[in-house]
Amino acid sequence: MTSFIRPRLRKPLLRGIALLGIAAAWAIGSPAWGLAIVIAVVAVGQTVYWYIWAGEDTDESALLASRADERQKQVGLQARALAGTVALAAAYIGLVITLAVKIADAWPFAALLAVTGFAYLLGLSSYGSGEPGPESEIAAGYQTRSPVGS
Amino acid sequence: MSQAELAAALGVSRQTIISIENGRYLPSLPLGFGIARFFDLTVDKMFDPDEEEAGT
Repeated sequence: MTSFIRPRLRKPLLRGIALLGIAAAWAIGSPAWGLAIVIAVVAVGQTVYWYIWAGEDTDESALLASRADERQKQVGLQARALAGTVALAAAYIGLVITLAVKIADAWPFAALLAVTGFAYLLGLSSYGSGEPGPESEIAAGYQTRSPVGS
Repeated sequence: MSQAELAAALGVSRQTIISIENGRYLPSLPLGFGIARFFDLTVDKMFDPDEEEAGT
């Protein structure tokens, strides 16, 4: 869908649109709608800033510009894993605190925990399953064979 | 040859070449083969852990 957009612009643009979504939600839901204009201006500014940053010669720029090589993709995955772990821990701490203080406010943290846990299980099932091979080989005890054709 | 030229020839970033040189990153098999082919060596000559340990 985004293939017509330059790779260097894709992620900065998507993040800018995400922030614009927050600005729109703020404008709809808050009486202080003037702040939404500030958020929108920041969204445009950050998109331009990230686009410029994506042109530099660093790992972060390569990830931002969708031109990461295998090591940089691995760095990106590790960073995402750390972010997920921290989000999970924050949701757990939030749940524990709100359960102790005001149970009615606990559901967003519980929902976040549930979604994160489900996403983890989904990731395991999507990426973690090896190919078992033919039934006959399973019965034979998973005999290893050379990847080189015989 | 500069790190940037090697990186361009292999289709990876300069930072990745630096990481491989410093032993902070082990390249994938395709990249390892690419590096070995580039220097006209075999993969076992290029990435011999025993030799590296002996050298340190």
